[in-house]
Amino acid sequence: MALTGIQIFKMLPKKNCKECGCPTCMAFSMKVAQGAMKIEQCPYVSEEAKAELSEATAPPMKTIKVGCGEGEYTLGGETVLFRHEKTFVNKTRYAVALCSCMDDAEIDAKIAAIPAVDYERIGERMHVEMIYVNYDAASGTDKYLELVKKAAATGKTLVLGCDDVEVAKAALEICKDGKPVLNGANASNYEAMNEAAKAAGVVLGVGGASLDEIYDTVAALEKAGNKNLVIDATGASLKETYGNAVQIRRAALKDQDRTFGYPTIVNTVKLAKGDRYMQEALVSLFTMKYGSIVVLENLGYAEALPLFGLRQNVFTDPQKPMKVEPGLYPLNGADENSVCVTTVDFALTYFVVSGELERSGVPLNLVINDAGGLSVLTSWAAGKFSGNSISAFIKENIESKVKSRKLIIPGKVAVLKGDLESKLPGWEIIVAPQEAVQLVKFLKDLQEAGEI
Amino acid sequence: MPFNRKPQKFNASIKEVTIGCGEKAVTLGGESVFPFYTFDGDMKNAPKVGVEISDMGIPEVAGIKAYYEGCTTMAEIAKKAAAMEGADFVCLRLEGGDPNGANKSTEELVAIVKEVADAIDVPLAVEGSKNVEKDAELLPKVAEALQGKNALILSAREEDYKAVGAAAGLAYDQKVGAESAVDINLAKQLNVVVTQLGVKPESIVMNVGSAAAGYGYEYVVSTMDRIKAAALAQGDAMLQMPIVTPVSSETWNVKEAMASEADMPEWGPVEERGISMEIMTAAADLASGSDAVIVMHPQTVATISKMIKDLM
Amino acid sequence: MTLFERVFNGNNAVYGLTEQAIDGAIAQYGEEKAVSFPDTAYSLPCYYSVTGVKVTNLKELKEALGVVKTLMTREPRLNDAFMSGVATALCAEFIEALKYIDGAAPYQQPLYGHLPDAVIRELGVPLVTGDIPGVAVILGSAPTVQEGVDLVKSYQAQGILVTLVGGICDQVAEAGMNTGANVRVIPLGKDVTAVIHVVSVALRAALIFGNITPGDSKALMEYTMQRVPAFVNAFAPLDDVIVACGAGAIALGFPVITNETENIFRVPKSLIVQEDVSKFNATSLEARDIKIKITKIDIPVAFASAFEGEIIRRGDMQVEFDGSRVDCAELVQTKDASEVEDHKITIVGPDVDEMELGSKNSIAYVVDVAGKSMQPDFEPVIERKFHNYINCIEGVYHTGQRDMQRIRISKNAFAAGFRLKHIGEVLYASVKNEFEAVVDKCQVTIYTDPAECTRIRHEVAIPTFEKRDDRLNNLTDESVDVYYSCILCQAFSPSHVCVVTPERLGLCGAVSWLDAKATNELDPNGPCQVITKERPIDERIGEYEDVNEAVKKFSQGALEDVSLYSIMEKPMTSCGCFECICGIEPFSNGVCITNREYAGMTPLGMTFPELASMTGGGVQTPGFMGHGKHFIGSKKFMKAEGGVARIVWMPKELKETVAERLNQTAKELYGIDNFTDMIGDETIATDPETLVEFLTEKGHPALGMDPMM
Repeated sequence: MALTGIQIFKMLPKKNCKECGCPTCMAFSMKVAQGAMKIEQCPYVSEEAKAELSEATAPPMKTIKVGCGEGEYTLGGETVLFRHEKTFVNKTRYAVALCSCMDDAEIDAKIAAIPAVDYERIGERMHVEMIYVNYDAASGTDKYLELVKKAAATGKTLVLGCDDVEVAKAALEICKDGKPVLNGANASNYEAMNEAAKAAGVVLGVGGASLDEIYDTVAALEKAGNKNLVIDATGASLKETYGNAVQIRRAALKDQDRTFGYPTIVNTVKLAKGDRYMQEALVSLFTMKYGSIVVLENLGYAEALPLFGLRQNVFTDPQKPMKVEPGLYPLNGADENSVCVTTVDFALTYFVVSGELERSGVPLNLVINDAGGLSVLTSWAAGKFSGNSISAFIKENIESKVKSRKLIIPGKVAVLKGDLESKLPGWEIIVAPQEAVQLVKFLKDLQEAGEI
Repeated sequence: MPFNRKPQKFNASIKEVTIGCGEKAVTLGGESVFPFYTFDGDMKNAPKVGVEISDMGIPEVAGIKAYYEGCTTMAEIAKKAAAMEGADFVCLRLEGGDPNGANKSTEELVAIVKEVADAIDVPLAVEGSKNVEKDAELLPKVAEALQGKNALILSAREEDYKAVGAAAGLAYDQKVGAESAVDINLAKQLNVVVTQLGVKPESIVMNVGSAAAGYGYEYVVSTMDRIKAAALAQGDAMLQMPIVTPVSSETWNVKEAMASEADMPEWGPVEERGISMEIMTAAADLASGSDAVIVMHPQTVATISKMIKDLM
Repeated sequence: MTLFERVFNGNNAVYGLTEQAIDGAIAQYGEEKAVSFPDTAYSLPCYYSVTGVKVTNLKELKEALGVVKTLMTREPRLNDAFMSGVATALCAEFIEALKYIDGAAPYQQPLYGHLPDAVIRELGVPLVTGDIPGVAVILGSAPTVQEGVDLVKSYQAQGILVTLVGGICDQVAEAGMNTGANVRVIPLGKDVTAVIHVVSVALRAALIFGNITPGDSKALMEYTMQRVPAFVNAFAPLDDVIVACGAGAIALGFPVITNETENIFRVPKSLIVQEDVSKFNATSLEARDIKIKITKIDIPVAFASAFEGEIIRRGDMQVEFDGSRVDCAELVQTKDASEVEDHKITIVGPDVDEMELGSKNSIAYVVDVAGKSMQPDFEPVIERKFHNYINCIEGVYHTGQRDMQRIRISKNAFAAGFRLKHIGEVLYASVKNEFEAVVDKCQVTIYTDPAECTRIRHEVAIPTFEKRDDRLNNLTDESVDVYYSCILCQAFSPSHVCVVTPERLGLCGAVSWLDAKATNELDPNGPCQVITKERPIDERIGEYEDVNEAVKKFSQGALEDVSLYSIMEKPMTSCGCFECICGIEPFSNGVCITNREYAGMTPLGMTFPELASMTGGGVQTPGFMGHGKHFIGSKKFMKAEGGVARIVWMPKELKETVAERLNQTAKELYGIDNFTDMIGDETIATDPETLVEFLTEKGHPALGMDPMM
């Protein structure tokens, strides 16, 4: 059982020294309880308390860092099985698969395509984060090392899929500074692999023929002192792989079995080689159910747009809704003479409303101000979507850019009409319908009537 | 020490609801484990895949048009949809009934429903126009026209559940789809009032709301996660109805699936984006607990049905 | 002759006729002759529904008559009368069935006779949805053709399905009225036995829509009583046969309203004498508890939420009413049903067109409501909606409440014909629609006569408001039997459940115990459910077995137990909507409270958003708790830890807001005057050390209390 802030506070020296960076010991205790700080950050805590606390506050699932610099990613560290219970903290990362079995032309084309996907969605950069470099024994060591070089040159974080210790060592020599994952330990080679990974200072990936075999290998590696691991959950079939991914995560979080308290890799290429559509289905499935790194062959825009959107949704904090940036968003080729329309910055509202606005085909200037990331009625009730806030934002940011003096407001806040009219002299306030689905007809009617 | 498996067994299970008649009837629900947790226990029935067709004809998507090539009547379209590899049932969406759209009359739409029902032997689901006033008038007539077909009528909502529920669930012995807006309490409340109307719990399938991936999908995940947990772990009988999730009606309407390649050249071919959006959303729905998904593209139907098969 | 005797006589007479008819038919056709009604799967529907036995030929019909005979007991008891009524109805069905022998078509347009199953399925749906709010069975001949037609039309206008039996069929035909299922006026037949065709509709509806097992007569009668909103209007003179049929109707739960005064016996809610035929409609609806939905409000301007934010400027204003300058009031009063005439709107004083342009006037509107489930506690809940209702009128503006409201009517609205009675129409329709569950009848009186307004304000409204305030102040957790759950926030905070008690309102500050109670009455399946508190576990911290069970259920198992009055032991969870958060401040042995509006630092070393991220999400966090502002002055605030004396710090503005109630509570509990002067704020300290110095200087009681942890 996790300790409460109060229980932790009781074990502290209660000096309010502020040396940990928190203004009070109480604040520090609460952060430790949340997992946001470590007990060791208190300079005065007794060894006894530290031992007791670090055992009790140790997370059920380890947080593993891979990559370096911009490409450093945090995996694992989850505390719940379902996002509504608290929040998922470290999102699934996707790795595009390369293999030394591919010919040079294919490899070059794949590598060239990787940087193509790079865009922003609600404040998050979306791009291919990792490359999975698979070793094909039949194609030889040199070909593989050549491939590792090319992959490393992209600057992406690598996962080396290689169970040959000597090849792996050579590959690590090329790319170890980038802190790749060495995914190749199994029941028969783990000791040597462990040495190779430790020597290079990289995370070791552990696989096996069955869940029991994986379990035993992880236990053996832990015994050998390596807790810098990820588990390759990929089995012989989809059914087995799904069972592995779920049971590993569940054992760690629900049953407190720390041997399985590591992030997982799922390789959809092994399950559906050459079937891009099946890989799409599986990458979605394993984003939902517990893949920390999911490997697939193609990650172009077609895959990225839904996949990154899904990930952004699933890994959002249930209590902190996603927000879009305040600003002016011209739609359907709007110019300075186009009518203005406003709603809140809550991402879900924004997407639903902007989707309907785009479908209407009517040129519009969508004005978004900071409404606290809440829905229309909630932000209105909280005073964050008010006559004051909307009018101030329009005066500061919109009046200089847009000539139209008509503003359409959501039907749910029709009550703001009079207030806005008095605070925005010269503006005509038009009340839209209550629901977004009614917008298309409403706007078309306004357009036909010559109102906008 | 070997790995100690601790299966999560529940005493409760999701109710089984059968739609359609005869050999091709399908049964939704029945599971007493979380989605595809076959290592914990029996799923009983595999989740099902429905193929969406619309009274508005074949959509302007090249791959879909190619599949239905040569079909000129709704009966032909329906037959072809039923023959799709991996299809378990057909869902006819009456989007033309929307008064803000084509505004087709109830008579016209009922005639289409009959034509489709007579053309196929797989189970049929019929989805309304999304306009509550229209659906309150239209869906009872649809239920009447489909007497003896054991069809799934989508949907009874908070605003029109009495008309739709009474007609589909009581008068004409169809299955009632109870639709609520991604909230466990709303879903339960609707089931309670539909049951109070006299509809048997065994005749109710839930549509707890859906979204395309990236469009507030977190609410869909959490709503379904919580409903399955309440149904199985808490034994909440008012949440043990199987879940059907219409996917295509959401996914083919988002920018990612609609913006032309001319407008977004870096995004590449629009159809591929549409398929990906549909496949990924459907897979996520199934992972969250949908007992049936409704999709449109033949590629999606093939892929998703294979994924289900491989997971069972 | 007693009513029982009349029923028994009528029953005997019909039974005799039936026996004769069946014997005659057997003589004519032989025993094996098939008997059935066309287009039904339930033949003979009434007999089948009641007994579970299907009758297919004359032989079986004769046997069935034997069964009917067993119902005809003759003790002067209510049940005997009811069963004889049922027996009469079944005999009528047999007689009608014989008319259909050999595929005969005994009824010709416009008469219907037997109604096929398909019609029942079709009519059943609007009946279940309430689109057909009731079924009227009109029997006999109205005193005049005009009265008969007026009565039928009055039901038709309300969407009620009207069935006609006897002389009334000819009367509507004579008047040239359009009849048929499509216009919801169905002439069944001229013989009194034709009434069975509407009974057959009710019983088949029970089988089809109620899933009633044929033969389960108890469930059958429960269904017709509760779900089939039918009633009978029987015109004088009533013979014994009609009286016997009436007993059958009453047995099914259908009241009989008649203008017969001779030799009749009134039975409350069941057999009602209404001499004035023009009042049959109102009497019937009240007796059968039928509420007519108002779909359109009859006013000359638009009514929609889009007009809620409209502001009427002085220059655009026709007249205004201003409670801050002259006597005004708005009030809901609970009355007995007999004191309220539904939809009556009365104006006392000058109307808008008699007022000077731009003038300031008095207004007081009193809305009288009556209903079986109405409680005076709902009055303020309804009243609070007036602002919203009146504001939704195009060209009308409303602010304030109680006796401080201000209303402006625009020149445009006035020019469109808007007058005071339209305010009445809006209030009437809105109250009836939104509070359907508790308001059966509603009337509105609008006063503009200044003297009357003064009287209403000072003699009626203000005393009522004072009484309500007293009730609110006297409501304690101990003085009520139940609490309420509130799960409105579960969309954001899946496992959170608020337990709302009189002294601890929802942590959002928006849901009081009375609000929760009203929400529960109005929407019994909604977010607020009754929580009993019969099995206390620990009175000190306010823990109850039943509350725990409810919390577990409504959080879907996420929460096992909560206390109502402790912040340290099993505290109530918080969603994310809390107005305030209080957290333990260990150095002063007390708690700091901060509110959403205060962005600065607290002596806890955490700001509101930081505290919110730790406290929210429906998770129990001992030492920290979200709550409403109003809770701060409550005697139940952290009662387990010693109450409000633990409060050591609050933002200045919050302190000022709650000072009056908090000081009063501190005075009552500990005899401390001006307690808030002892409480720190951001102008005094935002760190624990300075705070403790301040508290020591003031002699704050928390410093001397038992340690909190």
